[in-house]
Amino acid sequence: MRAVVKNGVGIFTPQGFLDGSSGNAFLSIDDINATISQNADMVLVSLKKVIFFNRNGLDSFVKMFQKVRTSNHCTVGFCDYNTKKYTAIVNFYKNDLTFSLFQSQEIATLFSASYKNQNKNVLLYNADKSQRAAMAIELHDNGHNPIIAQTEKEFNEKVDVENAYDVIIKDTFLGQMGQKVATRVTGNAIIYTISSFLDAEIGNTFNIAYHNNSLNVGFRLFIFDAYKVISMNVHALNFFSKLATGGAEYNASICFVGMSFDKTPKEFKENLEDSGIMFFNQMDDILQDKDLLEELGASSAANIKDKRAINKVTITELPNFIDATVGTIEMMTNSKAVKEAVQINKIAIDKKEDKIASSIGFYGDMDGMVILVFPTGIAKKACELLIGEETDDKELILDTLAELVNIVGGKVKTLLSDENISVDITLPRTYPDIDSLLEIVQEKKGVQVDLAFNDDKFLFFLTR
Amino acid sequence: MITKETIDNFIDKIPPAPHALKETLMHLNAEDLTKAAKSAAQDRALNNYLKVLVNKPIYGFRNEVSEVSQIFGILGVNRSQQAVYNYMTTLLSPSKWVLFKLNRVLFYNLQAELSVKWQKILKHLNIEDKDLLSSISLLPASIIVSEALFNDKKKDIEILRSVNAIDLNTILKRLSGLDLFDICEQIALKWEMPQQIVKIIQSSSGTKPSQDEEIDKLGKWMHLLLFYTLSQPQYIEAQLNDFIDFQVEYVGDIYEDFEQVMEIS
Repeated sequence: MRAVVKNGVGIFTPQGFLDGSSGNAFLSIDDINATISQNADMVLVSLKKVIFFNRNGLDSFVKMFQKVRTSNHCTVGFCDYNTKKYTAIVNFYKNDLTFSLFQSQEIATLFSASYKNQNKNVLLYNADKSQRAAMAIELHDNGHNPIIAQTEKEFNEKVDVENAYDVIIKDTFLGQMGQKVATRVTGNAIIYTISSFLDAEIGNTFNIAYHNNSLNVGFRLFIFDAYKVISMNVHALNFFSKLATGGAEYNASICFVGMSFDKTPKEFKENLEDSGIMFFNQMDDILQDKDLLEELGASSAANIKDKRAINKVTITELPNFIDATVGTIEMMTNSKAVKEAVQINKIAIDKKEDKIASSIGFYGDMDGMVILVFPTGIAKKACELLIGEETDDKELILDTLAELVNIVGGKVKTLLSDENISVDITLPRTYPDIDSLLEIVQEKKGVQVDLAFNDDKFLFFLTR
Repeated sequence: MITKETIDNFIDKIPPAPHALKETLMHLNAEDLTKAAKSAAQDRALNNYLKVLVNKPIYGFRNEVSEVSQIFGILGVNRSQQAVYNYMTTLLSPSKWVLFKLNRVLFYNLQAELSVKWQKILKHLNIEDKDLLSSISLLPASIIVSEALFNDKKKDIEILRSVNAIDLNTILKRLSGLDLFDICEQIALKWEMPQQIVKIIQSSSGTKPSQDEEIDKLGKWMHLLLFYTLSQPQYIEAQLNDFIDFQVEYVGDIYEDFEQVMEIS
């Protein structure tokens, strides 16, 4: 069984009855290794579709938690259960509860730094005072507004007040939380969350491959959410200086937000500023200031360094890329594709109106980027299979389009691995209009393939 | 990926029930075990199947049973009909499984386990009806249909499911408007199975309750039995555990009863 990873949270969903024998069957060593390689910020097992479990059944997942945590420093635990199941788990593990328990996936995501929607009013209660405090701190750090009920009676009274809270947390337990550098994307900025003491370990917990590929696919603004950082030593200083120098070649901006230098030498700040890093007190100082955002490169992602030409290796594999893309769109739309034209040049888009786009980068034995330009109609049709209904919600369509491009990336990876070419894929990026796409790729040369699905035109562009 | 035409093609290719089988069922319907055994004896494959099925440990017979007349005699009319319907379902099964890690033995075991446990459930519910007993035979057809429709799309399915927790039944429904249980219904109609079987199978999907309380009660028990059986390691490893979505809420009101009948602790 494999976990589904969305917004940095990986979820396993076993079904039915979970006992000693079935628990082991759900997870093979390959499944555990695949989970580790997915690099999620949080790995959870949903008990939503489990009607019966015992301690032996949970144990195989708990063993997986330990392995994933040791490798990836991420948060692990169970979610989606009722009070009866929660009580059973707490009783099974008593003093050995090293993993977390989240009553629902929605609650779990509040504790994930990758979560996009912040500023939630959250009512919480736990009989254990230290748990209440830990939850409130985590929620506050993640940009929410926690309201703590000190007693069960107070909690029940508050619950009865209609529409007072966005989320109500009960039957939730925080085990060891993740120390991974979590990543989330806001518009065209990438936000990394760093915390506690920053030392040489940052080199292990920061996903440098992800960062480099984000640069490659056109992200230019990187914000380090450093509210929770207590101090930094010289190894971490060197790490960030190098990161800033590397980013400068791409004209990228790196900012630190909320970093206090109470316990960090003041000259470190000067050193970091010398290497081009900027400091801000509040996240909104950047995200709410459109002029500043533009200046920092968030919406003007012209690629300075990366003008590599498409090469023979990439062209040779073109059929694989086309097959993966066409196969996926055909599968999702239940229609047939017709190839209309192929050319090597800069991207040429006839009509910009009513089109959206998405891109995904790949790196490893070969590297590059696939860009897909959809008429909104095809995008909607293709997303229907994943959403389950028609929708005009553009944000939902863009989110689902990202999943679809992820499927294309996954297929490319599989097809290339059949030829012993090993690549990894980046997170997909979406573009709500063609202008925002052209800011990234208009100067790049690549292979453009025009396709027709029924009567709709669809554009595939492969570049480096 | 899969269109209505793909499904129509699949249904068109389903062979009609063989003559000997039809005759066997007709005699079983008339509760004439001797004539039924005589008709069944004409079909060698059916003979072999019945022999393999009833000699599985779950049937609990001490000595090997080899003659059809003996098998029908021991099973009685109701369970004989159930066994014959089980055989009909196997007529659709592929020679080589690709999507699921199944083989003939494992599939027969699944049929046998479902059949014996279903009988136990009906006994608990004080139901003695041969059509209701036979209804379980059609349930594994949903697995065969999944295999037939998705076997050459295994990689696509794996990638699709790596980004979205979506079951095969939902994928099929969203692509073609028909789900696995609708196709099972088509099979049942083609084989002229009793209408009641069709209704219970639809209700056992967990997503399409009928208007009939009794049918739904049986549909719930069947849905839960399916997931109880598919939670065994051999079926999880065969990747059968999540081919359809388990509807926990649907079976909530019968769970405690089920626990007792299956002696789950």
